[in-house]
Amino acid sequence: MTLSLGPSVLDSSLYIADLRPKRKESALADLVSRAHEAGAVREPSLLRETLELRERLGTTAIGKGVALPHARSIAVIEPRLMVARSRRGIDWGAADGLPVQLVLLALSPPEHSEEIHHEFVARAVAVARLQRNRQKLIEAPSFEAVAAVLREVSG
Amino acid sequence: MSEVATVLQLHDLDLLLNEALDPKSRARLKKLGFEVQDPVVLQRARARLLQGVDRRWVNHYERALKRYGRAVAVVRDRVCQGCFITLPTSASPNAQESLTVCESCGRILYWR
Repeated sequence: MTLSLGPSVLDSSLYIADLRPKRKESALADLVSRAHEAGAVREPSLLRETLELRERLGTTAIGKGVALPHARSIAVIEPRLMVARSRRGIDWGAADGLPVQLVLLALSPPEHSEEIHHEFVARAVAVARLQRNRQKLIEAPSFEAVAAVLREVSG
Repeated sequence: MSEVATVLQLHDLDLLLNEALDPKSRARLKKLGFEVQDPVVLQRARARLLQGVDRRWVNHYERALKRYGRAVAVVRDRVCQGCFITLPTSASPNAQESLTVCESCGRILYWR
């Protein structure tokens, strides 16, 4: 089983055009709150705690202004990829020191194996690694445009 | 934090800890560009969480974790999603017991 970055994991209600917080803890809280409002997760405080624990293991910022927080959690109902942008940038503790402008949050339910979850995360990483994809995602005018980029580049 | 919330946190933390301790998993994450530091911080958090759970439930939890790799199963439509058995009405949580165990597989049940 592999997850493509298509309609099964994307949802317009899980897209945030401009994340306001400057700190990653607050940004994660906003993302989880939105996911909960959209019905994608139960127990939002549990998911927030799990994402923060993951960050304590090492930052999920991969450089070049991108962060890919991820969790396999009992709080997650179905696999989802949240996309969020930040105009002013978020301090995510990236090794290159750059503030994060693009956040891709990969959420998997616990029934998905670690391998399936990592494959899901890897697809998102592969998209974000290419400069032209990052630029398209950051500049996309709407969720539909973001979804089209992800569909196009992840096959 | 309630005992149920603590057990759910323990569940998620153990998934994360498995990732951090498994060399193959660590290698995959590093190859993707993620930092994976020494999981001692998770092990300390785990020890703290265990202190907030009654010994009896800790024993159920550890036994199921050892056997299945995950100690908690979601209940959907009265079906344990760990072993897919339909649960009897008497298995529901009540005022005395907020946590329950699947009598078939022994996993701790998460009713939602």
